[in-house]
Amino acid sequence: MGNQTALIEEHKRLGANIVDFAGWDMPVRYSSIKEEVMAVRKSVGMFDVSHMGEFFFTGVDSTKAIDYLMTNDFESSPIGKAVYSPLCGSEGGIIDDAIAYKLDDNQSLLCVNASNIEKDKKWIQTVLKEKNFDCQFTDASETYSLIAVQGPDTQRVLTQIFDRSFSDYEYYSVHKDDHFIFARTGYTGEDGFEIFGDHVHILKLWLDLEKAGVIPCGLAARDVLRLEVAYPLYGQDLSDKLTPLDCNLKWTVKFNKNDFSGKSALYHYKPFKRLIKLELDKGIPRTGQEVFQHDIKIGEVTSGTMSVTTGKGICLALVDKEVFNKDELHFLEIRGKKYEAKFTTNPFVAGGHK
Amino acid sequence: MSTQIPADYLYTKDHEWVKIEGSTATVGITDFAQSSLGDIVFLELPEVGTELEENATFGVVESIKSVSDIYSPVKGKVSSVNSGLLDTPEKCNEEPYESWLVKIKIDSDADHKLMSAEEYTEFVQQSH
Repeated sequence: MGNQTALIEEHKRLGANIVDFAGWDMPVRYSSIKEEVMAVRKSVGMFDVSHMGEFFFTGVDSTKAIDYLMTNDFESSPIGKAVYSPLCGSEGGIIDDAIAYKLDDNQSLLCVNASNIEKDKKWIQTVLKEKNFDCQFTDASETYSLIAVQGPDTQRVLTQIFDRSFSDYEYYSVHKDDHFIFARTGYTGEDGFEIFGDHVHILKLWLDLEKAGVIPCGLAARDVLRLEVAYPLYGQDLSDKLTPLDCNLKWTVKFNKNDFSGKSALYHYKPFKRLIKLELDKGIPRTGQEVFQHDIKIGEVTSGTMSVTTGKGICLALVDKEVFNKDELHFLEIRGKKYEAKFTTNPFVAGGHK
Repeated sequence: MSTQIPADYLYTKDHEWVKIEGSTATVGITDFAQSSLGDIVFLELPEVGTELEENATFGVVESIKSVSDIYSPVKGKVSSVNSGLLDTPEKCNEEPYESWLVKIKIDSDADHKLMSAEEYTEFVQQSH
């Protein structure tokens, strides 16, 4: 038995298939992945993502410290904003990717991947010491639960439950009240909120959401949803062997801001890989399958599935940047057979977030 | 969890059902298999005439998040393929015992090790 979230009994009661994920017993699917994905695209679904890590930075240097840890610009973002970014080591390799929430001038929250909590913590504590930032670091992962409520009906449902308006809350904004931190962020491409709180309040919120008709969704639906909008997943599409410049994350690397971890290495780095999106009319891509340009192997699928929304095979693939040419023909080899795979620059599904 | 296990079929430990009529074995996946896999979205089936050893992989069932091989329950030759199912793989979820995948002409000298419905019920309970 692994770690369990405060909602484990609810998952069991709802008949979820429970699997081990990063040492946690997590619901992978409640009913049908198709129904769960479509609930998020068309109405509203909810995910228990309490396994994720919550790090608080408190003190006068809290903003500066996070800005140093990430490649994206956190320092100049206003209070109440969220910023997505890779976190890179001094050589530029991606340690994790995370969202930082600026709660006020003296406090920010960094939400990290469950599988990286210990690694991140060690690294962050070392950096904070080295750089002498005046800021206190607290790993609050064990005291916080997290629910993602995602889909076009999210605002309506939350307004009903909390009896107040959420319409002023912008995309990628964050708001703290007595019991919850509301962030208009997510991993599905749809409008929605990620809501942080203590175990007791989150359990009550989960039950209220269920009563309001929100569909519980598991990690499998979450993975399909994120892949449909081409969001990368650490450990699959991103790793410490790669830099953001190899993984289509150049937009998150801000060389014009103050010094940050990995800046000099990234400045001189020549990317050798490229993370691309491929779409197949026939065949379902899976992790590890080989990508060909004509008959030359140029890389491998890092994440693949069938898109529930479009019915097509979709994947992210890591290919040799020098050899890859978007105008050539590409194929995936699936069980010895070649399937044509079309390169695309757009996400596979548009997503409805504002 | 209640799973349908009709009494007039035979079963394998890979969760396939087999119906033997004369020297022909009709093969599909069980209710337990389809429910464990979830939404089935892709099937790969052999061609008519393919010679199969017992326990040899003869096809693939893909759900949204998984890929599973299908194994031949008997030694023989594929005599018929349910190619209509390739366009409607979700039928394996909806009607697992109607949705046969292949018919296999069993080798006359071959012996098989299939479970009765009763044995399979026990097998499913023990493995979960």
